[in-house]
Amino acid sequence: MSCTVRIPSPLRSYTRGAQRVEAEGTTLAQVLASLEARFAGIRFRVVDEQERIRPHIRLYVNTREAGALAAPVAAGDTVHVICALSGG
Amino acid sequence: MGLSAEERARYQRQLNLPEIGLSGQQRLKAARVLVIGAGGLGCPAALYLAAAGIGTLGLVDFDRVELSNLHRQVLFASADVGRLKVEAARERLLALNPDIVIRAHALTLGTDNVRQIIGAYDIVLDGSDRLTTRYLVNDACVLLGKPLVTAAIHRFEGQAMTYLPGQGPCYRCLFPSVPEGAVGSCADAGVLGVLPGVLGALQASEAVKLASGAGEPLVGRLLTYDALTVTFAELPVSRRADCRVCGEQADIRAPEDSGVGSASEGLEPARRLSATGLKVLLAAGKANGAPLVLIDVRESWEFAARHLEGARNIPLGQLERRIAELAPDDAPIFICRSGGRSLAACALARRAGIIAPGHLEGGLLAWAEHVDPDFALGFE
Repeated sequence: MSCTVRIPSPLRSYTRGAQRVEAEGTTLAQVLASLEARFAGIRFRVVDEQERIRPHIRLYVNTREAGALAAPVAAGDTVHVICALSGG
Repeated sequence: MGLSAEERARYQRQLNLPEIGLSGQQRLKAARVLVIGAGGLGCPAALYLAAAGIGTLGLVDFDRVELSNLHRQVLFASADVGRLKVEAARERLLALNPDIVIRAHALTLGTDNVRQIIGAYDIVLDGSDRLTTRYLVNDACVLLGKPLVTAAIHRFEGQAMTYLPGQGPCYRCLFPSVPEGAVGSCADAGVLGVLPGVLGALQASEAVKLASGAGEPLVGRLLTYDALTVTFAELPVSRRADCRVCGEQADIRAPEDSGVGSASEGLEPARRLSATGLKVLLAAGKANGAPLVLIDVRESWEFAARHLEGARNIPLGQLERRIAELAPDDAPIFICRSGGRSLAACALARRAGIIAPGHLEGGLLAWAEHVDPDFALGFE
């Protein structure tokens, strides 16, 4: 099943500048794996070695915050990857 | 606090708003608002706050105006280059509205002075460009019970949220910590000049609402804005029970700048090489058959545009995962555009057991300025 993933500015170097990309999966874990297959290295910027969402990243499925990678994703959903920004 | 006839004329369009009215305008006049950072966010925010009639406006910034600031820092003119930002800002803001008080704080906020500075204001706007300052200001606002309107920007994207004491999540609830090097600075990554105008105006709008009592603040909601696609998103944020400063078992009793280091803030010592120093070392390494290990930690597209001969590309975001590509005694020298990411790379490498990592101070910009004027980075 296909969903849309919104990529935060600091990670767009992995998606060749794309702000929105399509991904497959019925859970966040699968969606991130699908992203990694196309954009090598991006998953590690979101999830650490212990499979935890990094503390400066927040993941949302539509407008529902997902605290874990097991969160379900349905076809047509939008996954928001939010990254802390520091510029002023 | 009454309004003079001239003030009534000045604020007439705002007085006509039932949500503001005379009492709201009087509250704005009595309000004391502090803007931290007279940069891309702080400049438009301060302009609108002064124009709106905020009675006392404080500005914190230790820096001086540079030419590269002017595409987004709209308080300043070309003639201000070299001046203290807060001094130039005060002049400009008083020219706009002579009825208000501007307090210029030409200093760096730290654990030693943050309580004293913030304590003298009612509302705080954070437009700083350092993550350490963001945590410090957040902690001070939580501990002193001050509302905080925070915003941040990167390239074409911005985000904003308002904290109200006891009513919603704080910045540490939003992002408990940020690993060193995880987030690029505007100096390294670039920023669309008008982007902080949008976010800074939003911050000013929030402050005017809080001071006058109008509307619903952006509490418990993170607003994100993407200028490239003109997309706004509003995402819910909850208080964290385990937040270190506002949670149930909070252990931060005094404002801290802990838990972070941005790409431009190397927290561990590193060998710092000047551009001319690196040139000498490169020549020596070549002559004795032991070339230097040069690691360019910029993104791959930046590396592809132009790089130093012999340099290898490992983007900073991949360095932790690919650190095994370096031997502990390689003594690598990290390079980036301006020296921020390379310093963060040094700290990361040192933690991973690499002995004596070094970096090119001032980055490839310094190389172009001091060694090779023909070395154009191609994206400026």
